[in-house]
Amino acid sequence: MSKVLSIAREESRLWLRSRLALFTLLIFTVLLAAVSIATSLRMSEEHRERSEQQALAEETFLSQPDRHPHRMVHYGHYVFRTPPPLAMIDPGVDSFTGQSIFLEAHRQNSAMFADARSGAELGGFQGLTAALVYQLFVPLLLIAIGHGVFIREREENTLAPLLAQGVTGNELYAGKWVAMAGVTLALLLPLAMVSAAAVVRGEALLASFGVMGLYALYLFVWCGVILLVSAMVRSRALSLGILALFWLASALIVPRMAVESAVSAVPAPGKIETDLRMQAELREVGDGHNAGAPQFQQLRANLLIQYDVERVEDLPVNFRGVVSEVAEADVTEVMNRFAEERMDLEVRQARFAESFGWLSPVVAVSAGSRALSGTDLATHHRFLREAEDVRFDFVQGLNRVHVEQLDYTDDINRSLNEEANRRTRMSAENWNVLDEFSFQPAAADQRLARAGAPLGMLSAWLLLLTAGGIRAARRMQP
Amino acid sequence: MISMLAAQSLSVMRSGQQVLKDVSFSIEQGEIHALLGGNGAGKSTTLLTFLGFLKPASGSVHVQGRDVNGNLGAARQAIAYLPEAATLYGHLSAYENLHYFLSLAGTDTGREALDDALDRVALQPEARNMRMETYSKGMRQKVAIALAILRDTPILLLDEPTSGLDPVAIDEFNRLARNLAEAGRTILLVTHDVYGACHVADRIDLLQNGVLVGAFDRPPGMDRIDTEAVHVAFAQHAGA
Repeated sequence: MSKVLSIAREESRLWLRSRLALFTLLIFTVLLAAVSIATSLRMSEEHRERSEQQALAEETFLSQPDRHPHRMVHYGHYVFRTPPPLAMIDPGVDSFTGQSIFLEAHRQNSAMFADARSGAELGGFQGLTAALVYQLFVPLLLIAIGHGVFIREREENTLAPLLAQGVTGNELYAGKWVAMAGVTLALLLPLAMVSAAAVVRGEALLASFGVMGLYALYLFVWCGVILLVSAMVRSRALSLGILALFWLASALIVPRMAVESAVSAVPAPGKIETDLRMQAELREVGDGHNAGAPQFQQLRANLLIQYDVERVEDLPVNFRGVVSEVAEADVTEVMNRFAEERMDLEVRQARFAESFGWLSPVVAVSAGSRALSGTDLATHHRFLREAEDVRFDFVQGLNRVHVEQLDYTDDINRSLNEEANRRTRMSAENWNVLDEFSFQPAAADQRLARAGAPLGMLSAWLLLLTAGGIRAARRMQP
Repeated sequence: MISMLAAQSLSVMRSGQQVLKDVSFSIEQGEIHALLGGNGAGKSTTLLTFLGFLKPASGSVHVQGRDVNGNLGAARQAIAYLPEAATLYGHLSAYENLHYFLSLAGTDTGREALDDALDRVALQPEARNMRMETYSKGMRQKVAIALAILRDTPILLLDEPTSGLDPVAIDEFNRLARNLAEAGRTILLVTHDVYGACHVADRIDLLQNGVLVGAFDRPPGMDRIDTEAVHVAFAQHAGA
């Protein structure tokens, strides 16, 4: 063990005495700290802004004056997805999927205000986040520092004296690994600080440790790649070339291949085609605005039988309200079916793309990072489902007011005069049917479970690379 | 008596080429044995085989009577090795290099012992704390020799130990080698320096294209091997 630590200490001393290595390390640490702080501040601001917007939207809805209840279901309401604390590290799909949905009757609107879309208009580049820096740029730094970690011993004729002192290939590999791991852990310090800040802001300790562990594992995989290549080849230039190519493939080529392959392997029908299909089904169901439409004749007949009356005016409930209520349930059933189909397709595409983590550690870590940070596709889908629950509940709540509190005769005559119109305005107290919406990230253990596959992939990478590295180090000859 | 080093019918292949063919010799304790030959004669290969870095294609090598194959750890523990053009670490001082390599060998050595070894190889005291990247080739070689001495092993394998040394330093090295041998340490050195080998060695084996082509012993009572005879044989085989 003492030999391993001696070798590690010596390697670190070389880096510390090399101005270039120290300077590069310093620049990266400053960059990491700056990006981490900037992302942290931005996501804190997003959290504050969206929380305020949510409160304002609720206040605005509840402060509406007395109105006809159906006007209120179309007045609508906004819900916002507040970013979880760990979005400070990885905003994930947040900037692509939109963060707010306008809720109204008979419609499921798409999420709006996607930062990446507005950002793309400015230059087409994704914003720099702590996750991106750790996923793409820190491996480059490790390559710059470590590509010659074994080759240097050959080139400077120090391998023979080293081995002649009785140092085994295993000890040499372990010593170099410990040195690389030391640099890696130092580079993880800014991430640890942001994770700690996330815990202070209410994040679960398990999730924060999970993110730290994931990135440590990922960077150790890169250490494994670097050590393996450095132990196998005989020149620094070749080592640097191979590692640069591996980085290029892992960071740029395979992730794009993954997306393209997922789209091909799990084809999705076009949006226009899907929308047209859904609109056709919705037309058959009817949105309830025309209570005299053929779809509702059976409902009318059933109600007359149920309440044993001859005319809808004699029903103890508002027929137009009942139609709205039934139509909303039917429309929602159709919309939910299409939404679930779409989400299922997206999940299958995402899973297919994530399986490319067996080919690229970058794909694996980005999937794991989003899952642990609570900014993955599953979280977005849960936001859509929870928003839909809020929409359905408040629309049906107001439809119930329409059914029970609004007289049918007043309702159909409300355009005749001001007095009739006034009588159809329901008390604003009824707007309290709106549930308070506060989107929370999934529990830490659920997020950890979702990150299981990427963690498994990275562990497999590390095991294979370590085994290969040890084998190569054992075969090293002066 | 068990030989400290022995090669028996040793043949070694490197990159598909046979570099040693049926080489046999043995070295007793306190003996300085030189392998003399031109470039590519197989001198360094012989040393690397004793260290277990290369495996014999046939035959065997023994250290203190034990076959290196199967007793590698023990063999390396018994040997201090000075590689050709040993540079050690340029970012470390002489003290730091010695301390590092000795700690890897499990040798606990204090500053006094380091200074003593560096005095014996005549490295200037003011240079000992300077980074070795500022050293001349000769100064680096002196530190490498000091490391070999400090290992305090019964056997020293020295690959071109006087390479880069000035004539005064070569004389000092020769004296040092003789002192070490008189103290019971066994030295196998490889060189293409005929005069140096004749002055320091008890026996010279002449190696040509991986084959032993001649052997010269220091006559009793003489302080060196007959340089002229070795030179003639060396030139004859080099020209062959």
